[in-house]
Amino acid sequence: MLSVTDLDVFYGDAQALWEVSMTVDAGEVVAIVGSNGAGKSTLVNAVMGINRARRGSILFEGVELTTLAGHRTCRRGIAIVPEGRRLFPSLSVGENLDLGAFHSEARRHHQESLAWVHELFPRLSERRHQLAGTLSGGEQQMVAIGRALMARPRLLLMDEPSLGLAPVIVDEVFDRVERVRAQGVSVVLVEQNVKRALDISTRAYVLAEGRIVKQGSAAELAASPEVVAALLGV
Amino acid sequence: MKRGRGWIPLAAIALSIAVLPWIRELTGFPASYLVLLSGVLFWTAQATSWNILSGYSGYFSFGQGAFYGVGVYTLAVLVGRQGQSWWPALLLAGLAGVLLALVIGTIAFRLRSLRGEIFALLTLAIPFILSAIARVTDSIDGGQGIILPVPDYPDFFGPFQQFIFWLSGAVAVLALVIAYGMVRTRYGWALFAIHDDEAVAEGLGVPTFRHKMIAIAANGLIAGLSGAVSALQVGFISPEGTFNLRVPLFVIVMSVLGGRLFWAGPAVGALYVVTLQNRLAGGFEGWSLIILGAVLVLLVLFAPEGIMARFVRRPWTIVSVVAGVLAALALYGGDPVTWFAVALGIAAVVALLPAGKPTGRRASAPAGRLGSTRTDPGSDLPPPATGKTLLEADDLTRRFGGIHALRGVSMRLLEGELVGLVGPNGSGKTTLVNLLSGALRPTSGSIAVDGADIVDVAPHKIVHQGIARTYQIPRPFNSLTVRDNVVVAIMFGREPRGLTASRQAAEEYLALVGLSDLGEVRPGGINLHERQLLEMARAMATRPRILLLDEALAGLNPVEIDNAVAVVRRIHRSGVSIVLVEHLLRVVNQLATRIVVLDQGRLLAEGDPATVMRNPAVVSAYLGSEAHAQRD
Amino acid sequence: MNVLQAGLAGALGGSLFALMALGLSLTWGFLKVINLAHFGLILLGSYLTFELATTTPLGPINTLLVTAPVLGVLGAAIHIAYERFEVSELSSLLVSYGLLIILVQVVHNIWSADFQRMDAMVNPYATRSIRLGDLGFPLPTLLAAGFGLVLVVLVSTIVNRTYAGRALRAFGQDREIASAFGIDHRLIGMALAGVAGASAAIAGMLFALRGTITPDAAFEWVGLVFAIVILGGIGNVVGTFYAGLLVGAVSGVVALLWTPSHSPLVVFSMVVLALVFRPGGLFPRRAGRH
Repeated sequence: MLSVTDLDVFYGDAQALWEVSMTVDAGEVVAIVGSNGAGKSTLVNAVMGINRARRGSILFEGVELTTLAGHRTCRRGIAIVPEGRRLFPSLSVGENLDLGAFHSEARRHHQESLAWVHELFPRLSERRHQLAGTLSGGEQQMVAIGRALMARPRLLLMDEPSLGLAPVIVDEVFDRVERVRAQGVSVVLVEQNVKRALDISTRAYVLAEGRIVKQGSAAELAASPEVVAALLGV
Repeated sequence: MKRGRGWIPLAAIALSIAVLPWIRELTGFPASYLVLLSGVLFWTAQATSWNILSGYSGYFSFGQGAFYGVGVYTLAVLVGRQGQSWWPALLLAGLAGVLLALVIGTIAFRLRSLRGEIFALLTLAIPFILSAIARVTDSIDGGQGIILPVPDYPDFFGPFQQFIFWLSGAVAVLALVIAYGMVRTRYGWALFAIHDDEAVAEGLGVPTFRHKMIAIAANGLIAGLSGAVSALQVGFISPEGTFNLRVPLFVIVMSVLGGRLFWAGPAVGALYVVTLQNRLAGGFEGWSLIILGAVLVLLVLFAPEGIMARFVRRPWTIVSVVAGVLAALALYGGDPVTWFAVALGIAAVVALLPAGKPTGRRASAPAGRLGSTRTDPGSDLPPPATGKTLLEADDLTRRFGGIHALRGVSMRLLEGELVGLVGPNGSGKTTLVNLLSGALRPTSGSIAVDGADIVDVAPHKIVHQGIARTYQIPRPFNSLTVRDNVVVAIMFGREPRGLTASRQAAEEYLALVGLSDLGEVRPGGINLHERQLLEMARAMATRPRILLLDEALAGLNPVEIDNAVAVVRRIHRSGVSIVLVEHLLRVVNQLATRIVVLDQGRLLAEGDPATVMRNPAVVSAYLGSEAHAQRD
Repeated sequence: MNVLQAGLAGALGGSLFALMALGLSLTWGFLKVINLAHFGLILLGSYLTFELATTTPLGPINTLLVTAPVLGVLGAAIHIAYERFEVSELSSLLVSYGLLIILVQVVHNIWSADFQRMDAMVNPYATRSIRLGDLGFPLPTLLAAGFGLVLVVLVSTIVNRTYAGRALRAFGQDREIASAFGIDHRLIGMALAGVAGASAAIAGMLFALRGTITPDAAFEWVGLVFAIVILGGIGNVVGTFYAGLLVGAVSGVVALLWTPSHSPLVVFSMVVLALVFRPGGLFPRRAGRH
């Protein structure tokens, strides 16, 4: 459903991605792993239209995204859980979730989506009126995931959802990723927690220094000494 | 005009002001020209004084009217109400300006929440308060206004208008001398650094508070003196005429028009605006302000650096244009002011015509430039660690709100060591660097350099203890060239030097990191790798004993990484002890003599690279633990 | 009783300045531009009201049917230009000051520097006042308070309770992510600048209603209106209105107990204290509710 071809992304003069190509099929969880600064976030942000690609193409269900205005991407069925969560801190939890369903298509299914998000994260229903900025890290992550699901995506981009969270919360987050996938949503999962990521993925790409250095099934990569080497540099 | 022989035009200006009235008498030009020129000189002093604070340091002030007004009223009350003689009153007016400036500065610059716009608004409010005080206090104004007699002055000065011209000229020259003197010394450079990035300036050893106070005091002094002279000239003073928005807004327009980073910029702006207004006054009354407004809009959008920035790029073309038009005047006669206005107009157009970028990137390919720095003669062995403890951090804890970024971390750095500081995202590495460099204070715990505690020491003094740092995302001073970035660090570092000496010394540090060819380029014109090298050169220029490198290699390609590794190694071999924060473990393994691993704000492991990297706890912190993988 | 009367009358008068401050505060808080040209729009609003009310049978209040759309479009157009040139917060101050000078001078050229006022025939409101018990209030200030109240309730309802308002606040906090969730920043920015422009039309009309207008009035508003924006909290709609009432009431009471010349002394000292101790404004916002 998603096919990225020969993508080059720059920040000013600095090139962050070099000829990156990847695909995601319907129903897959695809992990993107690599050390910090390898370009993982840049890649998902480019798909979302937050960064613009200088060269290459991003096709989603046959539609070219690189020429689409940034705010139109989500209407096509893609949503993002950004790195560092990036909630709207002085809006309430409820308002953050509502904004996830901003585009007209999602707004029509607002009630259903909200019920589903509350089922996945019951705590969010209790905290509906609390300001997002005052939540704990784990709760903020739940809001970030919930906000993305409110957009009714067919493809969910998750950027470091376990970052800085306590192990129990990490378990909860990964469990929810699987439940979301079970509903037929494809997931691109950017993670530093490589073992956990490979555990729940079908396939994975290893990024290093802005290039894809290895790809394959999750099981294959988990067993690969090269992956360990790429991440640890030993 | 940040470099070069600025004192020559300065001396020429002073000399012309001194002799002009006599020339006028000889040539028989009408006295009204002196009035016009007095106006130029008044605005030159006002705009230059505003520019010293707001243009150089970037703290935008709307309070010019307050300093001006205090000068006006000090003189008016002393001379008009109390019958004192004019010259002590003039000096007291300057003093009053300084006092007001110091009060405002002490309050504003000590505020922790101070941001640019808060300062702007604070200074906006002051003139309204002073105006109200003047109006309600009978011994100042009381709403009556003050009439000033023509002061007694020595006959030598000739007619009153000539006397005022010389007084305005003296204040304007004083303003220009101070502005020029600052540009040529550390006082101005501290402000340029504050303008671009105050935290970085402080981190390079600039005592930012002191320099902001000096700048605002200079602003108050000149504005007060100049206000007092204008009070003498005008003869009738009222709160409405004094504390209105004309002065603060005109000085902004003039400085932006002329060029905020140039000592002569505001003077050029004053010349343009006063001449333009004078010419548009006859017949074009309704258009003069519209044109002025349009000029401001267009300049901010298309030439935000101002006329001077363009002028210094092609000075001779412009000088010859002005000379040509003035020659035409000599041949054909006519109103000289009109001719002068025409000359200024043509000069502005010529200046604003697109020229080649002054600081464009040079053409050579990156690989070629980096080649020379990659040769690494001699052995790769780092200097032996002597065992003497340079830096010792004990039980450091830092909380942000409820989040513990660091919990009880202790580490030390021995002389000659290169410690690799690693750990997954969010493990607290950058927080630790911020604590060690004094940018943040620990919630608890202690940090000592050579046994002396530095926790309560201001960041700029920590630099003088011998600690320097780089930033993960490079934060160069963008309005200064690459060389001048290094110059600032030398001027305020551990072994401070003057401007000229620093400029020479800067070459050494540029060579150290391989940026010698890029000294004249602005940071905006170099790539990420080069900006990171600049960070290192700037840190080294403070002559540190300890260098904290915060992810100096993030986002580089393999060739650049190899080059950066060579630079770090060279710095290390020169005898500087280093803490290297880095994600690329391959690099850390190559460079470090010892590795410290953080995870979730705690110290996870430390030791020599090979051992630490085999530690199961470290592997699991990086790859995610097996244990957590077993879920319900 | 006199103090109460002075305070209430002052507060009602302050609501006119709150209306002026509203547009400035909105575009500053959410769009990050300090738009001094707003004062020019208000001035233009007063003169258009004067002109239309004098030359057509519309009546002063109905001129809003023309002036609000016109100034709304003008406000939006100015914002598009700011966006097009990627004007930063600081340079917006300079650019918009240039625009303000131009607008004031255009008004000056068309309507002259002299005082203008609508005839009593055209503007029956100026001289009327309404008595409530022992207290009398001029009709124009009551109208200003009424319009102010309606506008503040309307705008704060939109900002706090509608999708568009949430989008606006989200946009003010994180443009990139807001855009990733489908919020079109151009549209939002234009709409908000348009609303600010329309509010300038209302403020201008109310100012014309009070009596005489001159081109220099625009510069006289600057200090007081900025004071209200700061005290109310930048971008805080309800806070701005409260601050307007507070500044008006304080001015009124000080003028009565002391002299009118003391009012700015007290008001701007409040501003300095607020900037030093409460830089977020006197009325911090609470959590949004559903």
